Amino acid sequence: MPRLDRLPQISRNNLLTFPAQVNDTTPFVRPAKPLAACRLAIVTTAGLHRRGDRLFTPGDQTYRVIPSETPTVDIVQSHTSIGFDRVPTMRDVNISFPIDRLRELIARGELGELGPNGYSFMGAQREVARIMNETGPEVGRRLREEGVDVALITPT
Amino acid sequence: MLARALEQAGIATTSISLVREHTEKVKPPRALFVPFPFGMALGRPNDPELQHHVLRAVLDLLTEARGPVLRDFPEDSEPGDQPAAPPQASGITADDRALDDVAMETTQMRRYHERWLETNGGRTHFGLAGIPATRFRGVVRFLEAFAEGQETDMAERPPDMPLANFIRYCADDLKSLYFEGHLAMKSASGGDEIARWFWGETGAGRLLRRVRDRLDASTDQLWKAAAFGIAR
Repeated sequence: MPRLDRLPQISRNNLLTFPAQVNDTTPFVRPAKPLAACRLAIVTTAGLHRRGDRLFTPGDQTYRVIPSETPTVDIVQSHTSIGFDRVPTMRDVNISFPIDRLRELIARGELGELGPNGYSFMGAQREVARIMNETGPEVGRRLREEGVDVALITPT
Repeated sequence: MLARALEQAGIATTSISLVREHTEKVKPPRALFVPFPFGMALGRPNDPELQHHVLRAVLDLLTEARGPVLRDFPEDSEPGDQPAAPPQASGITADDRALDDVAMETTQMRRYHERWLETNGGRTHFGLAGIPATRFRGVVRFLEAFAEGQETDMAERPPDMPLANFIRYCADDLKSLYFEGHLAMKSASGGDEIARWFWGETGAGRLLRRVRDRLDASTDQLWKAAAFGIAR
């Protein structure tokens, strides 16, 4: 679920000892428009990026920009943790970066439009101070400048 | 955590969660917990219908008046043929009969991989190390020399890339070549079956176990991290 009791022990232990941040409060922004009028961007933690872009390295807290018109065949993954199955992403990048599905929603009139860019971080990080204080807020500012109303955050 | 940073910048966010226990602690503004294995956040590859169900559910959270909201995806549709996380090398016995000539084996796999490229419009995860598949015999020889404890390197390694990271990308590319090559042979295979084949039956799997062992024996944290990322 992965439900923890169904995981191999090594994965379960890794998750149980993972230093997840504990928060008491939650910032909460309500979108000003209905979804059909919203501009949306994908922000993924799947370590995806354009082929030829700078690779993610262990502990990397920077991000990559994936322009929304990037063909899905040009999207690769350099966060290659062996804690997740890469075969689904090999078959279909929409499993973590649902760009084709969002285009279908736009065509059906259920979603307004895509922002000019998606953004990608590497997930499963133990040290996240730089994402919290620097690179995360930076992506937030860029999304604002790009007129994005809603970010869809997807893991791998 | 990322969601919180974006909300603080004024962007409404909605997230897919794969680990409910972590999401309960982090408290992102809106999250949909999905019952899928790691690597399958939207449900199943090439299943647009299920992917749309998940998308609808996660986007619906945007209409909630207050948060945090943590909702469970209503279907208990764990893709039945796949475990929650892929099996690891340590849980798979390597077959002694695997080919010793890994360079030869890699050349064979490259042919299947070419078929994968042809049938998938060129889509591939291969290519992180920047060395074309046609020269992967050389990469295999480099990894073999490394596993044997030799001082070794490749001219293709960018000067600013630490050796351990380069080895990791070479290992990732080797896995992509084999995994995607296997998919070209047997398109219905799941990650579980392919991982068992790779670590159990291939010479490349045995080679990467030895590469891991040398990296893991080091006290250098970069080497240890690379070992943990190659096989555990």
